[in-house]
Amino acid sequence: MITASQKPINEIIELVEPYKKLLILGCGTCVKTCFAGGEDEVAVLASVLRLSFKKMARPIEIEELTIERQCENEFIQEASPGIARNDAILSLACGAGVQAMAKRFAKEVVLPGLNTTFIGIQESHGVFTEECSGCGDCSLATFGGICPVTRCAKKLLNGPCGGSQKGFCEIDPDTQCAWHLIIERLTTLKQQDNLKTYIPPKNWNTSLSGGPRKLIREDHII
Amino acid sequence: MKINNAPKLTLFHCLNSFEETNSMFDGCTIKTVKMACSSMTKDIHLLKAFESGADAVLVLVCQEKDCRYAEGSIRAKKRVDYVKTILDDIGMDGRRLNIFNTTAKDSGPIKDIIKTTISELETIGPNPALNHFN
Repeated sequence: MITASQKPINEIIELVEPYKKLLILGCGTCVKTCFAGGEDEVAVLASVLRLSFKKMARPIEIEELTIERQCENEFIQEASPGIARNDAILSLACGAGVQAMAKRFAKEVVLPGLNTTFIGIQESHGVFTEECSGCGDCSLATFGGICPVTRCAKKLLNGPCGGSQKGFCEIDPDTQCAWHLIIERLTTLKQQDNLKTYIPPKNWNTSLSGGPRKLIREDHII
Repeated sequence: MKINNAPKLTLFHCLNSFEETNSMFDGCTIKTVKMACSSMTKDIHLLKAFESGADAVLVLVCQEKDCRYAEGSIRAKKRVDYVKTILDDIGMDGRRLNIFNTTAKDSGPIKDIIKTTISELETIGPNPALNHFN
């Protein structure tokens, strides 16, 4: 999933201050799972903004809505009536959702309420970790399902740096050494031979370093 | 700012941490919200209490080791702490929200908690959003 966290409340207040009617629009998929932009977070943010604006004696009308996904036109459509009733949209979606809204409603003000952080998983309840950099050239099969590009602080592809201590990274002692995990996993899978394969320098053209990417599926285009 | 009228308190409590008796509420107006377990304490409910005009919100929960559902008191405390930081961030003063470990069998400390809250409100002042409610 794409993880995100809410912007500091004072930054949000500054963003929405010029508007009298505000739609807080949640996104019910990734950012809901990481407790940043689902129905609950929309309700809490709406309440906080109402309290804050009433304290400042500034009138504001706030409407709340959460749609399934802000990054897909079919779901975005559902928000149209609410958007028409308000001066601005405070989107609690990832950056892709905010931009999809801005693209779909070209004449409306769409403001981001979240900071998008990374592609990750829920490690345990309330703990999210980055697992994928979206490099566009996946090598997880070689590394036993553990990505050194994302999870090794030095992005090493040909074995550990030698700085890890008791299985933890020397850069951040709270982070497990990706190479320690890779070796353990390949040992379990009896695929240690993978470690003998030389991995050439990574071609970053498929990543964001090669500029914004586009995915085209001809078979789905009419 | 001083509170002219009797302060308004909202009291969320676990069934096992508080038993309501009228004598406790001298000098203030209290709205009580009974919960099956303090794990039902949610940020939105605490905030809504302030939106509804509470000058202070109290959450009474069981002792951590006595929670029948094991983690209720711990969860409630984390959520209260979270809302306190929000209140501080928006200038509402997080001190007007507090959580206490109590037991329904012993109402003495609860009376003291209410008295202390009323007296602290003299310093903290009324709900700053109250005067501007529609």
